[in-house]
Amino acid sequence: MSELSIEFAGARYRFAGLNPAQDGLVRARFRALICRDDAKPDVRIDIHFDPNSAAFMRRPSGPVEYPFAVVPGHESIAVAGAGFTANIDRSPFRAQMQTCLSDDWFVAAFENLFRIIACHRLFNEGALVMHSAAFTDGARGFLFCGRSGAGKTTLCGLAEALDLEILSDELNAIRPRGGSFELLAMPFAGDFGGEPRRHPPYPLTGLLGLRQGGATSLSVCSKAEAVSRIVASCPYLNADPQLVDELASRAERLVQRHGLRILAFTKDTGFWKVLDNEYREQAAAVSR
Amino acid sequence: MSTESKPPRYRVEPHARFRVMGDEGVFVLQEAGEVLVVNAVGAFIVEQLQAERSVEEIVIAITDRYAVDQDRARADARSLLDALLGAGAIRQA
Repeated sequence: MSELSIEFAGARYRFAGLNPAQDGLVRARFRALICRDDAKPDVRIDIHFDPNSAAFMRRPSGPVEYPFAVVPGHESIAVAGAGFTANIDRSPFRAQMQTCLSDDWFVAAFENLFRIIACHRLFNEGALVMHSAAFTDGARGFLFCGRSGAGKTTLCGLAEALDLEILSDELNAIRPRGGSFELLAMPFAGDFGGEPRRHPPYPLTGLLGLRQGGATSLSVCSKAEAVSRIVASCPYLNADPQLVDELASRAERLVQRHGLRILAFTKDTGFWKVLDNEYREQAAAVSR
Repeated sequence: MSTESKPPRYRVEPHARFRVMGDEGVFVLQEAGEVLVVNAVGAFIVEQLQAERSVEEIVIAITDRYAVDQDRARADARSLLDALLGAGAIRQA
Protein backbone atom coordinates (compact mmCIF):
# COMPACT_ATOMS: atom_id res chain seq x y z
CA MET A 1 0.00 0.00 0.00
CA SER A 2 1.28 3.47 -0.81
CA GLU A 3 0.67 7.10 0.08
CA LEU A 4 0.73 10.16 -2.10
CA SER A 5 0.13 13.85 -1.52
CA ILE A 6 -1.66 16.32 -3.78
CA GLU A 7 -1.27 20.04 -3.21
CA PHE A 8 -3.32 22.91 -4.53
CA ALA A 9 -4.84 26.17 -3.29
CA GLY A 10 -2.43 26.14 -0.36
CA ALA A 11 -3.53 22.80 1.06
CA ARG A 12 -1.90 19.40 1.05
CA TYR A 13 -4.11 16.31 0.80
CA ARG A 14 -2.52 12.99 1.68
CA PHE A 15 -4.11 9.80 0.38
CA ALA A 16 -3.00 6.67 2.22
CA GLY A 17 -3.70 2.99 1.59
CA LEU A 18 -3.71 3.05 -2.22
CA ASN A 19 -2.94 -0.22 -3.94
CA PRO A 20 -0.44 -0.10 -6.83
CA ALA A 21 -3.12 0.17 -9.53
CA GLN A 22 -4.97 2.95 -7.71
CA ASP A 23 -1.70 4.78 -7.01
CA GLY A 24 -0.75 4.70 -10.69
CA LEU A 25 -4.15 5.99 -11.79
CA VAL A 26 -4.16 8.89 -9.34
CA ARG A 27 -0.56 9.85 -10.15
CA ALA A 28 -1.38 9.88 -13.85
CA ARG A 29 -4.47 12.03 -13.34
CA PHE A 30 -3.02 14.59 -10.91
CA ARG A 31 0.58 14.41 -12.15
CA ALA A 32 1.36 18.12 -11.90
CA LEU A 33 -0.02 18.48 -8.39
CA ILE A 34 1.71 15.53 -6.73
CA CYS A 35 4.08 16.79 -4.05
CA ARG A 36 6.59 15.29 -1.66
CA ASP A 37 5.23 13.51 1.37
CA ASP A 38 7.66 15.16 3.77
CA ALA A 39 5.33 17.75 5.30
CA LYS A 40 2.33 17.24 7.54
CA PRO A 41 -0.80 17.11 5.42
CA ASP A 42 -3.72 19.47 5.95
CA VAL A 43 -6.16 16.66 5.20
CA ARG A 44 -5.63 12.92 5.44
CA ILE A 45 -7.76 10.52 3.41
CA ASP A 46 -7.46 6.81 4.18
CA ILE A 47 -8.41 4.42 1.41
CA HIS A 48 -9.37 0.83 2.14
CA PHE A 49 -9.54 -1.56 -0.77
CA ASP A 50 -12.20 -4.24 -0.40
CA PRO A 51 -12.46 -6.58 -3.40
CA ASN A 52 -15.96 -7.69 -2.42
CA SER A 53 -17.95 -5.70 -4.98
CA ALA A 54 -21.24 -7.00 -3.56
CA ALA A 55 -20.70 -4.68 -0.59
CA PHE A 56 -21.00 -1.58 -2.80
CA MET A 57 -23.44 0.10 -5.15
CA ARG A 58 -23.29 -1.59 -8.56
CA ARG A 59 -21.81 0.12 -11.57
CA PRO A 60 -24.53 1.34 -13.90
CA SER A 61 -24.50 0.01 -17.43
CA GLY A 62 -24.42 2.28 -20.43
CA PRO A 63 -22.97 5.75 -20.94
CA VAL A 64 -24.19 7.52 -17.82
CA GLU A 65 -22.63 10.11 -15.57
CA TYR A 66 -20.96 8.70 -12.50
CA PRO A 67 -23.76 8.44 -9.91
CA PHE A 68 -23.18 9.25 -6.27
CA ALA A 69 -25.03 10.62 -3.26
CA VAL A 70 -23.92 12.98 -0.50
CA VAL A 71 -25.67 13.03 2.86
CA PRO A 72 -24.52 15.69 5.31
CA GLY A 73 -24.78 14.59 8.93
CA HIS A 74 -24.08 16.31 12.21
CA GLU A 75 -20.54 15.04 12.69
CA SER A 76 -19.70 13.70 9.28
CA ILE A 77 -20.74 13.68 5.64
CA ALA A 78 -21.57 10.33 4.08
CA VAL A 79 -20.83 9.77 0.41
CA ALA A 80 -21.73 6.71 -1.64
CA GLY A 81 -21.33 5.95 -5.32
CA ALA A 82 -20.82 3.03 -7.66
CA GLY A 83 -18.12 0.89 -6.10
CA PHE A 84 -17.36 3.03 -3.07
CA THR A 85 -18.55 4.53 0.17
CA ALA A 86 -16.85 7.30 2.13
CA ASN A 87 -17.13 9.31 5.26
CA ILE A 88 -15.83 12.83 5.74
CA ASP A 89 -15.39 13.77 9.41
CA ARG A 90 -16.06 17.42 10.13
CA SER A 91 -13.69 17.72 13.10
CA PRO A 92 -10.90 16.84 12.91
CA PHE A 93 -11.33 17.21 9.19
CA ARG A 94 -10.36 13.91 7.52
CA ALA A 95 -11.92 11.22 5.33
CA GLN A 96 -12.07 7.49 4.83
CA MET A 97 -12.97 5.74 1.58
CA GLN A 98 -13.89 2.09 1.11
CA THR A 99 -13.83 0.83 -2.44
CA CYS A 100 -13.70 -2.26 -4.61
CA LEU A 101 -12.43 -0.27 -7.61
CA SER A 102 -8.94 -0.32 -9.11
CA ASP A 103 -9.62 0.65 -12.72
CA ASP A 104 -10.82 3.78 -14.52
CA TRP A 105 -13.92 3.76 -12.36
CA PHE A 106 -11.67 4.31 -9.39
CA VAL A 107 -10.46 7.58 -10.91
CA ALA A 108 -14.07 8.75 -11.28
CA ALA A 109 -14.90 7.75 -7.70
CA PHE A 110 -11.69 9.28 -6.38
CA GLU A 111 -12.19 12.54 -8.24
CA ASN A 112 -15.80 12.91 -7.14
CA LEU A 113 -14.88 12.31 -3.52
CA PHE A 114 -11.88 14.62 -3.79
CA ARG A 115 -14.14 17.43 -5.08
CA ILE A 116 -16.37 17.16 -2.04
CA ILE A 117 -13.43 17.01 0.36
CA ALA A 118 -11.78 20.01 -1.32
CA CYS A 119 -15.03 22.03 -1.27
CA HIS A 120 -15.37 21.49 2.47
CA ARG A 121 -11.69 22.02 3.21
CA LEU A 122 -11.66 25.35 1.35
CA PHE A 123 -14.92 26.41 2.96
CA ASN A 124 -13.39 25.68 6.36
CA GLU A 125 -10.59 28.05 5.37
CA GLY A 126 -13.00 30.88 4.55
CA ALA A 127 -13.37 30.28 0.81
CA LEU A 128 -16.37 29.77 -1.44
CA VAL A 129 -16.16 27.00 -4.02
CA MET A 130 -18.39 27.58 -6.98
CA HIS A 131 -19.57 25.77 -10.09
CA SER A 132 -17.94 28.24 -12.41
CA ALA A 133 -15.65 28.94 -15.30
CA ALA A 134 -12.59 31.02 -14.59
CA PHE A 135 -9.75 32.43 -16.65
CA THR A 136 -6.99 34.96 -16.32
CA ASP A 137 -5.12 37.29 -18.62
CA GLY A 138 -2.09 36.75 -16.39
CA ALA A 139 -2.85 39.65 -14.06
CA ARG A 140 -6.59 39.69 -13.53
CA GLY A 141 -8.88 36.82 -12.60
CA PHE A 142 -12.43 36.49 -13.94
CA LEU A 143 -14.98 34.06 -12.56
CA PHE A 144 -18.32 33.21 -14.19
CA CYS A 145 -20.67 31.28 -11.97
CA GLY A 146 -23.48 29.10 -13.22
CA ARG A 147 -24.75 25.59 -13.22
CA SER A 148 -24.66 23.12 -16.07
CA GLY A 149 -25.89 24.64 -19.31
CA ALA A 150 -25.08 28.21 -18.32
CA GLY A 151 -22.37 28.46 -20.98
CA LYS A 152 -19.23 27.95 -18.88
CA THR A 153 -17.57 25.49 -21.23
CA THR A 154 -18.53 27.52 -24.30
CA LEU A 155 -17.01 30.62 -22.75
CA CYS A 156 -13.81 28.75 -21.88
CA GLY A 157 -13.49 27.62 -25.50
CA LEU A 158 -13.83 31.22 -26.68
CA ALA A 159 -11.39 32.46 -24.02
CA GLU A 160 -8.82 29.87 -25.01
CA ALA A 161 -9.00 31.10 -28.60
CA LEU A 162 -7.94 34.50 -27.22
CA ASP A 163 -4.96 32.93 -25.41
CA LEU A 164 -6.49 33.61 -22.05
CA GLU A 165 -5.46 31.01 -19.48
CA ILE A 166 -8.30 28.75 -18.37
CA LEU A 167 -8.30 27.77 -14.71
CA SER A 168 -11.33 25.47 -14.82
CA ASP A 169 -14.67 25.31 -16.60
CA GLU A 170 -16.16 23.42 -13.67
CA LEU A 171 -15.09 24.39 -10.17
CA ASN A 172 -13.13 27.36 -8.84
CA ALA A 173 -12.72 28.96 -5.44
CA ILE A 174 -12.75 32.53 -4.16
CA ARG A 175 -11.00 33.34 -0.91
CA PRO A 176 -10.82 36.62 1.02
CA ARG A 177 -7.32 38.06 1.15
CA GLY A 178 -6.28 41.35 2.70
CA GLY A 179 -9.58 43.16 2.28
CA SER A 180 -10.09 41.82 -1.23
CA PHE A 181 -10.64 38.41 -2.81
CA GLU A 182 -8.41 36.04 -4.73
CA LEU A 183 -9.31 33.45 -7.31
CA LEU A 184 -8.01 29.91 -6.79
CA ALA A 185 -7.94 27.26 -9.48
CA MET A 186 -9.15 23.80 -8.57
CA PRO A 187 -7.92 20.70 -10.40
CA PHE A 188 -11.32 19.59 -11.63
CA ALA A 189 -12.47 20.15 -15.17
CA GLY A 190 -15.84 19.73 -16.83
CA ASP A 191 -16.44 19.13 -20.52
CA PHE A 192 -13.59 21.47 -21.42
CA GLY A 193 -11.18 18.90 -20.04
CA GLY A 194 -7.49 19.43 -19.63
CA GLU A 195 -4.97 18.14 -17.14
CA PRO A 196 -4.84 19.71 -13.69
CA ARG A 197 -2.04 22.30 -13.51
CA ARG A 198 -0.49 24.42 -10.82
CA HIS A 199 -1.78 27.98 -10.82
CA PRO A 200 -0.93 30.85 -8.50
CA PRO A 201 -3.85 32.73 -6.96
CA TYR A 202 -5.07 35.66 -9.04
CA PRO A 203 -6.76 38.81 -7.78
CA LEU A 204 -10.47 38.51 -8.39
CA THR A 205 -11.27 41.26 -10.87
CA GLY A 206 -14.56 40.21 -12.40
CA LEU A 207 -17.34 38.27 -10.71
CA LEU A 208 -20.03 37.47 -13.23
CA GLY A 209 -23.05 35.38 -14.04
CA LEU A 210 -23.74 34.18 -17.57
CA ARG A 211 -26.56 34.60 -20.02
CA GLN A 212 -26.23 33.14 -23.51
CA GLY A 213 -27.70 34.84 -26.54
CA GLY A 214 -28.63 38.39 -27.45
CA ALA A 215 -26.01 41.05 -28.03
CA THR A 216 -22.85 40.90 -25.98
CA SER A 217 -23.37 43.15 -22.97
CA LEU A 218 -22.78 43.56 -19.27
CA SER A 219 -25.57 44.35 -16.86
CA VAL A 220 -25.88 44.72 -13.12
CA CYS A 221 -28.20 42.65 -10.97
CA SER A 222 -29.70 43.20 -7.55
CA LYS A 223 -27.88 42.15 -4.42
CA ALA A 224 -30.46 39.43 -3.78
CA GLU A 225 -30.11 38.00 -7.28
CA ALA A 226 -26.33 38.13 -7.00
CA VAL A 227 -26.33 36.29 -3.68
CA SER A 228 -28.80 33.75 -4.98
CA ARG A 229 -26.69 33.06 -8.06
CA ILE A 230 -23.60 32.55 -5.91
CA VAL A 231 -25.29 30.33 -3.33
CA ALA A 232 -26.94 28.26 -6.05
CA SER A 233 -23.51 27.75 -7.60
CA CYS A 234 -21.85 26.34 -4.47
CA PRO A 235 -22.19 22.55 -4.72
CA TYR A 236 -22.44 20.39 -1.60
CA LEU A 237 -22.16 23.45 0.67
CA ASN A 238 -25.58 24.83 -0.27
CA ALA A 239 -27.19 21.51 0.65
CA ASP A 240 -25.48 21.24 4.03
CA PRO A 241 -27.72 22.49 6.86
CA GLN A 242 -24.71 23.24 9.05
CA LEU A 243 -23.08 25.46 6.46
CA VAL A 244 -25.83 27.11 4.47
CA ASP A 245 -26.31 30.16 6.70
CA GLU A 246 -22.58 30.91 6.76
CA LEU A 247 -22.49 30.33 3.01
CA ALA A 248 -25.20 32.94 2.43
CA SER A 249 -23.41 35.40 4.73
CA ARG A 250 -20.14 34.95 2.85
CA ALA A 251 -21.89 35.36 -0.48
CA GLU A 252 -23.41 38.58 0.82
CA ARG A 253 -19.99 39.91 1.87
CA LEU A 254 -18.55 38.98 -1.51
CA VAL A 255 -21.34 40.79 -3.33
CA GLN A 256 -20.95 43.79 -1.02
CA ARG A 257 -17.32 44.06 -2.04
CA HIS A 258 -17.46 43.04 -5.68
CA GLY A 259 -21.00 43.15 -7.00
CA LEU A 260 -21.95 40.62 -9.65
CA ARG A 261 -22.59 41.46 -13.26
CA ILE A 262 -24.34 39.44 -15.87
CA LEU A 263 -22.47 38.81 -19.09
CA ALA A 264 -24.72 38.16 -22.07
CA PHE A 265 -22.61 36.72 -24.84
CA THR A 266 -22.78 35.20 -28.27
CA LYS A 267 -20.53 32.47 -29.59
CA ASP A 268 -17.70 34.75 -30.63
CA THR A 269 -14.78 36.40 -28.91
CA GLY A 270 -16.41 39.83 -28.71
CA PHE A 271 -17.11 39.35 -25.01
CA TRP A 272 -13.47 39.93 -24.11
CA LYS A 273 -13.39 43.48 -25.47
CA VAL A 274 -16.42 44.30 -23.33
CA LEU A 275 -14.91 42.73 -20.21
CA ASP A 276 -11.45 44.14 -20.74
CA ASN A 277 -12.76 47.68 -21.20
CA GLU A 278 -15.17 47.46 -18.29
CA TYR A 279 -12.70 46.18 -15.76
CA ARG A 280 -9.86 48.39 -17.01
CA GLU A 281 -12.08 51.41 -16.46
CA GLN A 282 -12.97 50.15 -13.01
CA ALA A 283 -9.33 49.70 -12.06
CA ALA A 284 -8.56 53.21 -13.35
CA ALA A 285 -11.45 54.66 -11.36
CA VAL A 286 -10.17 53.00 -8.20
CA SER A 287 -6.62 54.19 -8.74
CA ARG A 288 -7.77 57.77 -9.26
CA MET B 1 -69.36 19.67 15.98
CA SER B 2 -68.12 22.96 14.64
CA THR B 3 -67.77 23.36 10.88
CA GLU B 4 -66.05 26.72 11.16
CA SER B 5 -62.80 26.70 9.24
CA LYS B 6 -59.78 28.57 10.47
CA PRO B 7 -58.10 31.06 8.16
CA PRO B 8 -55.15 29.35 6.50
CA ARG B 9 -51.69 29.91 7.86
CA TYR B 10 -48.42 28.92 6.33
CA ARG B 11 -45.00 28.46 7.78
CA VAL B 12 -41.56 28.44 6.28
CA GLU B 13 -40.15 24.94 5.91
CA PRO B 14 -37.34 24.25 8.38
CA HIS B 15 -34.92 23.47 5.55
CA ALA B 16 -35.67 26.77 3.79
CA ARG B 17 -33.53 29.65 5.02
CA PHE B 18 -34.82 33.12 4.32
CA ARG B 19 -33.06 36.43 4.58
CA VAL B 20 -33.81 39.96 3.43
CA MET B 21 -31.20 41.61 1.22
CA GLY B 22 -31.75 45.20 0.27
CA ASP B 23 -35.30 45.48 -1.01
CA GLU B 24 -35.59 41.79 -1.85
CA GLY B 25 -35.48 38.45 -0.12
CA VAL B 26 -33.58 35.24 -0.75
CA PHE B 27 -34.74 31.74 0.07
CA VAL B 28 -32.08 29.04 0.21
CA LEU B 29 -33.81 25.68 -0.18
CA GLN B 30 -31.14 23.64 1.47
CA GLU B 31 -32.55 20.18 0.68
CA ALA B 32 -32.66 20.92 -3.02
CA GLY B 33 -29.66 23.23 -3.17
CA GLU B 34 -31.96 25.74 -4.89
CA VAL B 35 -32.26 29.46 -4.32
CA LEU B 36 -35.28 31.72 -4.88
CA VAL B 37 -35.42 35.49 -4.99
CA VAL B 38 -38.59 37.33 -4.00
CA ASN B 39 -39.27 41.01 -4.59
CA ALA B 40 -39.93 43.61 -1.90
CA VAL B 41 -43.61 42.72 -1.50
CA GLY B 42 -42.69 39.04 -1.44
CA ALA B 43 -40.08 39.64 1.24
CA PHE B 44 -42.68 41.53 3.29
CA ILE B 45 -45.15 38.65 2.93
CA VAL B 46 -42.57 36.08 4.03
CA GLU B 47 -41.70 38.20 7.07
CA GLN B 48 -45.40 38.22 7.94
CA LEU B 49 -45.48 34.42 7.61
CA GLN B 50 -42.53 34.17 9.94
CA ALA B 51 -44.50 36.29 12.42
CA GLU B 52 -47.19 33.57 12.21
CA ARG B 53 -49.83 35.80 10.65
CA SER B 54 -52.77 34.29 8.76
CA VAL B 55 -53.31 35.02 5.08
CA GLU B 56 -56.08 37.51 5.87
CA GLU B 57 -53.85 39.28 8.41
CA ILE B 58 -51.15 39.44 5.77
CA VAL B 59 -53.59 40.92 3.24
CA ILE B 60 -54.44 43.70 5.70
CA ALA B 61 -50.76 44.29 6.44
CA ILE B 62 -50.08 44.63 2.70
CA THR B 63 -52.87 47.18 2.25
CA ASP B 64 -51.55 49.10 5.26
CA ARG B 65 -48.05 49.21 3.86
CA TYR B 66 -48.61 49.50 0.12
CA ALA B 67 -51.19 51.59 -1.72
CA VAL B 68 -53.28 48.65 -2.96
CA ASP B 69 -56.80 47.46 -2.28
CA GLN B 70 -57.58 44.17 -0.55
CA ASP B 71 -58.43 42.30 -3.75
CA ARG B 72 -55.09 43.13 -5.29
CA ALA B 73 -53.25 42.36 -2.05
CA ARG B 74 -55.04 39.02 -1.73
CA ALA B 75 -54.25 38.09 -5.33
CA ASP B 76 -50.57 39.01 -4.90
CA ALA B 77 -50.32 37.09 -1.65
CA ARG B 78 -52.07 34.05 -3.13
CA SER B 79 -49.83 34.06 -6.16
CA LEU B 80 -46.66 34.22 -4.06
CA LEU B 81 -47.85 31.59 -1.59
CA ASP B 82 -48.70 29.21 -4.42
CA ALA B 83 -45.27 29.70 -5.93
CA LEU B 84 -43.53 29.13 -2.58
CA LEU B 85 -45.68 26.07 -1.90
CA GLY B 86 -44.79 24.69 -5.32
CA ALA B 87 -41.11 25.27 -4.66
CA GLY B 88 -41.28 23.57 -1.27
CA ALA B 89 -40.28 26.70 0.62
CA ILE B 90 -43.41 26.86 2.80
CA ARG B 91 -46.18 24.55 3.90
CA GLN B 92 -49.65 24.97 5.33
CA ALA B 93 -49.52 25.08 9.14
